[in-house]
Amino acid sequence: MTGRPGSRRRRGKAEADRSWTGLLIRNTVLWLAPVTLIWLLLTPLYNRFLLESAQRLLNLTESPAVTDLAPAGGDGHDAFIARRDFTPVRRRVHSFRVTDLHFHFLLLGALFLGVPRIGWRQRLANLGLACVASVCFDVVLLFFYVKFIYATQLGAWSLAHYGPFARNFYGLGKHLLDLPFKLALPLVLWSAFYLPRLLQESGRAASVAS
Amino acid sequence: MARKKPSRPEPAHAPLPFWRRNRGEVTFLVLFLALLGAGFTLISLNWVNDHLIEPFTGGIARTSGAALNLLGQHVSMQGTVIRNARFAVNIRNGCNGVEAMLIFLSAVLAFPSPWVSRAVGLALGIVAIQAVNLVRVVALFLTGVYFPKLFATSHTVIWQTLVILFAVLLWLFWAHRFATRREPA
Repeated sequence: MTGRPGSRRRRGKAEADRSWTGLLIRNTVLWLAPVTLIWLLLTPLYNRFLLESAQRLLNLTESPAVTDLAPAGGDGHDAFIARRDFTPVRRRVHSFRVTDLHFHFLLLGALFLGVPRIGWRQRLANLGLACVASVCFDVVLLFFYVKFIYATQLGAWSLAHYGPFARNFYGLGKHLLDLPFKLALPLVLWSAFYLPRLLQESGRAASVAS
Repeated sequence: MARKKPSRPEPAHAPLPFWRRNRGEVTFLVLFLALLGAGFTLISLNWVNDHLIEPFTGGIARTSGAALNLLGQHVSMQGTVIRNARFAVNIRNGCNGVEAMLIFLSAVLAFPSPWVSRAVGLALGIVAIQAVNLVRVVALFLTGVYFPKLFATSHTVIWQTLVILFAVLLWLFWAHRFATRREPA
């Protein structure tokens, strides 16, 4: 279905008259729902990939490799940490929700797809690079999460195997990665790609104002 | 007589080094991350948490409780806990809007703009983020009362995303409208 050429031209002019930032804010809000849908569909697959990758990274730092990260429950959102060197009764040391680690993709997707006046190829290429950076971040975040559990949450075992420095290091690392950096990651990545444009628009608004 | 050393010819358009080409972005990102890391490290200190964050969170609990009472929920507040006969929530770090405020504050301070614009942005931003956070706490409590199965997802994924999204969009709006750098004529 196509609109009449006159109305389309008017709409195009109205679009061109709106500020880049105004369009970005509107588009970001509009993209949030489709991005959420895609994220929900991909989450079970991504959770499995994340568990596998983080387990490999953890196993690299262990001798012998004893950590297992495995999905728990049927919905694909939950997982547990197990240690093969513990007795079968104590093997499952912690359960957690993997999906809670990577909901920053919602903001990332909406912000990158909402950028106006840019070709789709460029937009998707930038989003792809940002997603690669986010995946690496998630693997490191999960690594720190497991180490934090080992260092601080297993009572006497934690005290026997991790010193004060390690407990503080993994505690602060998990705190910083899980809250501020996870939540700020989409803004950081968006700024890395589009800050010059925002600075340019800010300067343009200043010249119009004066 | 010393012979003049022939100077190496300069290329007509020598490419600028990475730092000079991307000075604006690099400065913003480094400052933003440094402020963010410093801010979160500061609020994770026990003294700051006990004397600043906990009383602030208690204030949020009292305000949210008052709003819930206006909506007929008959809640009581104790410290950072809001409860009624059907549900109770304890407002902790992550639900008090401090994270969103710190992200907004770091982004405003790191963005190149006059200090007056920054002060305006910080004052308006903090009030606006706390207003949205009040809506979040009230909405989460009502979700817990009427749709308890949705509480966990709503708590972590939905409202966390919405509050941070609001802070980011507010920063973009501020950067466009208020963070204007007037060039000398």
